This record gives sequence, structure tokens and C-alpha cells, in this order.
Amino acid sequence: MTETWTLILGLAAATFAVRLSGCLLGRRLPDHGPWARGLQALPGCLILSLVTYLLMQGGPQEWAAGAAALTAALLTRSLPLTMAAGIAAICLIRAYF
Amino acid sequence: MTLQDLPQSSTVRSRLAAGLRDILPLAVGVGVYGLAFGLLAAQARMSGLQTGVMGTIVFAGSSQIIAVERLVAGAGAGAALLAGLALNLRLLLITASLRDEFAGRPWWQVLLGVHLATDENWALMHAMRARGGCAGYWYLVGGGLGLVAVWVLSTVAGATFAAVVPEPKSLGMDFAFTAAFIAILRSLWSGSAMLLPWAGSILIVLLAGRFTPLDPTWTLILGGLGGAAIAGVMGND
Repeated sequence: MTETWTLILGLAAATFAVRLSGCLLGRRLPDHGPWARGLQALPGCLILSLVTYLLMQGGPQEWAAGAAALTAALLTRSLPLTMAAGIAAICLIRAYF
Repeated sequence: MTLQDLPQSSTVRSRLAAGLRDILPLAVGVGVYGLAFGLLAAQARMSGLQTGVMGTIVFAGSSQIIAVERLVAGAGAGAALLAGLALNLRLLLITASLRDEFAGRPWWQVLLGVHLATDENWALMHAMRARGGCAGYWYLVGGGLGLVAVWVLSTVAGATFAAVVPEPKSLGMDFAFTAAFIAILRSLWSGSAMLLPWAGSILIVLLAGRFTPLDPTWTLILGGLGGAAIAGVMGND
């Protein structure tokens, strides 16, 4: 029991410290030039890295569903429709292939 | 902070509501994962109270999953904590990139904002803004409040009713976030200047994942930083 509470409180403190440090770090970076351009490009690059990693973990089924989701994203630019297309595609592919 | 930086309370309310509304599809995915995490928490013999407190004060789903999974596997609290912490290092990059949203805000709003910053509402805010929408601090907080509510309710429900919870994979819900992030990437794409940084990120993740024994966390951070570095060095603004 105490081990669980140690983990909960410890992980909460550590996670909050990480979140706050990022905020303090961002404040110290300059407003213009390479650092600012890098910081601006960071969200897209980080999300793209995550998607690349998730698709790497999967196989051809996930890649095909990813292609279906990308097609929906390009056609509709809608978050709910893209999620629906991706989930429907992975269900169909897993059921029939 | 000047007077016009202080939004009217009605504006604050409408931005909070917009964030809350737009996060809904993502919150469904989070709810399914919350149920799955609750299952794991039940295996770790965590009570509903412990599960709810953890969801509220840690509020970082993937790290909670890793940490509790380690606990179930018999690792001590210290090793479990380190595994969860490693997964959260990417949050450092997320809150760093929120610099402009936090600028000039009182300390309690900064503390609230950093705690509520997650992959989902942070990415959604950027996507919304890239499409020309008005999305900033309160939009982020509105989405975060929606996510924390869904996360706590679903994890506690999962821990309490562990016997009847289905596996996310059986519903195709394991793919929900991949699809969501693909939609968000589509919104963030703003032209050919991003081609090289994005190609760099993909290449780094592929190479690091294929040829090094690096932990996924470090692979993601390398990919994100690598792409951002290319964008910084290219310098055409």
C-alpha cells in the first residue's frame, strides 16, 4: 500500500517538475533567430515523430489504416472524421485480412 | 501586462467552452484508455481513491501506464517512478513551446496551464491556430479540464469494474490516437518550408528505432529536436 502511495506522490512531483522546467526553459530562449524558429517548428516535428514511431510499432495493417486516415485528413481536414476513418479502417482490415 | 491583454470574462468562458467542445473526439479515445489503465490499476491492487488521486495529480496517461505496469511486474516504487518519468521528458518540450501562451500571466495561471498541458490539448491548440482559429491559453485549459475529468472518471471506473472492461484493441481504439495525430499533422502543415524539418524528424525516428537500442522516449525527443534544429538552422524568415 505505502509503495503505491510513494509511486503516486513521487511521479506526480516529478511530472510537475518536468512540466514547470519546460516552461522556465522556454522563457530563457531568445525571441528571434534560429532558437525561435526551432521552437516554432517543434510541435509539428514532435507530433510527426510520435506518429512515425506508432506506425513503426505496427505492421502492414496499421500502415494501411494510417493511409486511410491520411486520406480522410487530406479530404476533410476534420479531426472527428479522420479518427472515425482510421478506427473503421483498422477494424475492417483486422476483421477481413 | 496591459489592460487589453486581460480578456473579458465572457471571452474567457467562450474560449474555455471551445476548447472543451473541440477536445470531445479525443476525450473519447482518452476514456477508452482510462478504462484500460483502470484494469491495470486493479491488478496492482490500487483502490478507486488511489487511482483517482493518481489521475488528478500525475495526469500523464502513458507514464501512469508504464509506471503501474512496472509495479505489477514486481519492480519497486523507485524503478517504476523512473520509467514513468523518462516517458514524461517530452512534456518538457511541450511546455517549452507554450512560451507565448504563458507570457505575462499570473503565477497561478502558469501553474494551472503547465499541469493541464498534455499531448492532446496542446496539439489540438496548435492545429486550431494553424487553421486560423483563435486558440490560446484558455482554449488549452478548457481542453485540459475536459481531459482530466474524463481521465479520472474512466480510470476510476476501470479500476472499480475491472471484470467487465473490454480491451481497447478489440474495438480498434488502439489506433484512435494515431489517427487523431495524423489529422492534427494535416492542420499543422503550412507549406514547403516544413518539408526538410519533417523529413528529418521521420528519418531520425526510423534510423534510431531501427539501428539503435534507444528507449522510445529518447527516440521521440531526438526526432522532435532534430527536426526543430533543421528548421532553426535553415533560417528563412
